[in-house]
Amino acid sequence: MKKRMLKLAALTLSLAMVASLAACGNGGNGDSSNDQASGGDAKTEEDKVITYWNIGTEGADKEALEYAVNEFNKNTESGYRVENVPTQNDNYKEKLVVAMSSGECPDMYTSWSGGPMNEYIESGFAQPLDDLYEKYGLKDEFMDAALAQATYDGKLYAVPTYNVSLAGVFYNKEMFAKYELEVPTTVSELEAVCDKLKAEGITPFALANGPKWTGSMYFQCLAARKGGLEPFQSAVSGEGTFEDECFIYAGEKIQEWVKKGYFPEGVNSLSEDDGQAKQLMYQETAAMMVIGSWYTGTFPSDSPEFYEKIGWFSFPKVDGSDADASIQIGTIGDQFVSFNCTGEKLEAAFECASYYASEGAKNVMVEVGKIPPTKDAADLITDDVTKQILDAATDASSVQLWYDQYLPPAVAQVHLDTCQELFGLTMTPEEAGAKFEQAMEEYLAE
Amino acid sequence: MENGYKMTKIKSRIAWVIATFFAVAAAIVAITPFIFMVMNSFKEKFEMLTKGVFALPDKLDFTNYIEVIQGNFFGYFLNSVLVLAVSLIILLMISAFASYPLSRFQFGMKGLIYSAIVACMSIPVHITLIPIFKMSQSMRLYDSIWALIGPYVAMGIPISVFILTSFMEQIPKEIEEAAAIDGCGKVRMFFSIILPMAKPGLSTLAIYNGVNMWNEFIFAYTLTQSQGNRTLPLAVWEFKGQYSMNTPMIMSVLTLTVLPMIILFVFAQDKLIKGMTAGAVKG
Amino acid sequence: MKKDGITLARKRQRNTNCVAAIFLAPVIILLIVYIFYPIVETFRVSAFDWNGISSNPKFIGLGNWVKLLHDDKFWTAFLNNVKVMVLSILIQIPLGIAMATFVEFAGKKATIFKILWFIPMLMSSVAIGFLFTYALATNGGIISSISQFFGGTNIDLLGNPDTALYTVIGVIAWQFTPFYMVYCVAGYTNVSKDVYEASVIDGANKRQYFVHIALPLLKPTLKSAAILSMVGSLKYFDLVYVMTGGGPSNATELMATYMYKLSFAQFNMGYGSAVAGGMFILISFISLFTMRILNGRKEGR
Repeated sequence: MKKRMLKLAALTLSLAMVASLAACGNGGNGDSSNDQASGGDAKTEEDKVITYWNIGTEGADKEALEYAVNEFNKNTESGYRVENVPTQNDNYKEKLVVAMSSGECPDMYTSWSGGPMNEYIESGFAQPLDDLYEKYGLKDEFMDAALAQATYDGKLYAVPTYNVSLAGVFYNKEMFAKYELEVPTTVSELEAVCDKLKAEGITPFALANGPKWTGSMYFQCLAARKGGLEPFQSAVSGEGTFEDECFIYAGEKIQEWVKKGYFPEGVNSLSEDDGQAKQLMYQETAAMMVIGSWYTGTFPSDSPEFYEKIGWFSFPKVDGSDADASIQIGTIGDQFVSFNCTGEKLEAAFECASYYASEGAKNVMVEVGKIPPTKDAADLITDDVTKQILDAATDASSVQLWYDQYLPPAVAQVHLDTCQELFGLTMTPEEAGAKFEQAMEEYLAE
Repeated sequence: MENGYKMTKIKSRIAWVIATFFAVAAAIVAITPFIFMVMNSFKEKFEMLTKGVFALPDKLDFTNYIEVIQGNFFGYFLNSVLVLAVSLIILLMISAFASYPLSRFQFGMKGLIYSAIVACMSIPVHITLIPIFKMSQSMRLYDSIWALIGPYVAMGIPISVFILTSFMEQIPKEIEEAAAIDGCGKVRMFFSIILPMAKPGLSTLAIYNGVNMWNEFIFAYTLTQSQGNRTLPLAVWEFKGQYSMNTPMIMSVLTLTVLPMIILFVFAQDKLIKGMTAGAVKG
Repeated sequence: MKKDGITLARKRQRNTNCVAAIFLAPVIILLIVYIFYPIVETFRVSAFDWNGISSNPKFIGLGNWVKLLHDDKFWTAFLNNVKVMVLSILIQIPLGIAMATFVEFAGKKATIFKILWFIPMLMSSVAIGFLFTYALATNGGIISSISQFFGGTNIDLLGNPDTALYTVIGVIAWQFTPFYMVYCVAGYTNVSKDVYEASVIDGANKRQYFVHIALPLLKPTLKSAAILSMVGSLKYFDLVYVMTGGGPSNATELMATYMYKLSFAQFNMGYGSAVAGGMFILISFISLFTMRILNGRKEGR
């Protein structure tokens, strides 16, 4: 009995300790709030900090971002300091929603432009930046397409940062040489290449369609080469429809290719994040890959030797179609910084973002295989593949942002879902088009 | 007679062989993923992708681990330990408190309170994010590990009270009655009889809630932002970006994260489940 | 004399109420702050058309709830949840009992099994998701390799809408069975050693002991295990989100993944809250109803 009481006493004691510990934690916070109440200094001190949420947790993103932030903190005369808060990409959008809905939106934050950015702007979490762009002379610095993707309702709302990424075809040059294949310029030539590869027991395309946006790139490229961008844009505005011929064509081609075995087995359950697509390239069991051109950073970071074997070509044109084949699908800027602050603070934050266009930042990006979205990018880049991609971007008559990024998020989800079903052969192109159109109409009706 | 005895003995031996066979099979199924996790933690990124996830690593190379440990790993580790210890102790204490009247008393609102607590189990975690984020802001706890304790304790309460109540209900009435005759009051009864006898339940809950808190991601993710206040499950993201992820490094982090739990379980499981009850019954 | 008795009883009851209130207070306060308040908030938000971030949500009354009733996707998700629930109970709990019984009968020698069996419970969803996507890959995955070894073809388990859900249920069972093992081991401690020894003296063999003595004594443990498994399956989120994201063709969409996507990715917080509210009502109803049935006689008292 006594023993038990002793034990009990020990337990209570430890609980009390824990409680006091917790109280200490609270106490610490309490103190700081007292400081704030008593001395005005503490408050201004805190006000002079610009919080910057982003996803630069790792690799190239992190380096370019830290460069810009550090340069700003070193050189600025504004009296402000930027606090860099990198956050994992997977749940980043959710974290932003939680913060914004509580009215605690950070002063600077990364987004990917398109649908979500429009929501942030409409809800009042971003400021127009045209004056600041003028003041810092950045309008001439960035590519026009980059500025176009940072624009909402005729005004600039964001600063493009890291990269130019297009959906194009990476291919294994060694394998092409070995099987005597030429770089295709039309879809029928591409199909001929695929058939030859298939005959050699090689999977033509490495694709992991678990996350859905990967397969959607094939859809977007095919639709753009078949009908240009006009059908897409008019479908989005409500004048046209997603049941247009070019979308049906894209769906039919995808299903034809699935049936012919151009894609890996079980394509819809492969994971892009876990590397199940690039793995096929590295194992040389697949020869081509339609993917965003950020892979110019991914390949060499995995293996510089393997990157030597890699070539790139723009998605081939559709035979008999008069659509402009210079059109590209992708993002010019990749991540865009928006600002949720005003006055002096906004100007300081913008100054920080302007460092993305500085020589130093551009050099950092080029070094890690990225293309700065600036007009002088061509002078900086030495890598052949990257140069080719940049040329395709600058020659493009227009660059359409990824559907899933550009469309209102609810519609984008329907597009991704139906597109995956096309790959799974569980839906016909007509059904997919009708569902896509229905979602768009529902959105426009609201 | 002797034959019959032999037969049962042989039968029982066969039964044991079969049971052991299934036990071994289950053990293999249970630990294979763990073994592959450890194996991949020794690989290089490109090696893992070209040779495949299920191949043996080229060499036993601790570079990944060294890099992880030289990072902020210990900071995260300490945060995790602190949050876990504080939350778990509070959770188990107050859940035991609450389960006592719910299992052994008769009073007016008992059914209602119990049902309400059980209904709380059905709450989808994600809907609490925004309200709890707001609260942490207004309590000035945001971006500190103390912000995690409230939600960790609260999310564990419904299931803990549910399980403990069911355990305490099974304690025979006679023990309590005997103590009551000895003049033992309700509060003392709890500390000297009910609580010790509920130890198997408490230990199950310690394991269950401990594992959940140790691996908890979403609150840690939303309620902290600076590196100094992150817990272990967030350590992974230093090796995961928008377009790339260094899987072997992530596997190293995850191996290091799970190791303390395994060690704890190896050393504590016997004490946790059996030892404690044995003591209680004797007393 | 009689009157005194009544006052005494009343006094005692008051004392009981008082002790009960003190013991229950901390839990009730925390639940009100961290769970009741968010639930109320969810129901409030569900009356609005709101993207989750703007400062002027539009009041639409029961609009979202009407939509919910007619939302096929939600009911498909609910049905998927029910499948997860039924199979989880049928797979995890019997396996858990089997493991616990083995450990119980084999004694100290079986400690190693207890530890090895428990490992899945400790692993993080990130690692499980990664390893199982590779293990289940159609080409070169473990399952396909086994099938090929026996002369079969490659099997696409996660990419096929007919098998994806069952595959995920399998992985969930792999992760959670150990919990029911530990839970049943703890339940066994209630079956006191004396009973076991007495039954052995009576000449009962292990099978008879298990069926006639241990199992009935484990019954309360099993009942609560069933409720836990039920609630856990109906609000399940983790591995499904990591492994399939609800696809392919919504085959693995669960209420929680659907709600999460609506609220945080599609800027439809109002409707997402209605889904969350619907989830809460359905799960509470099912679990409380089942509990009432399982504890029928006792509750009636």
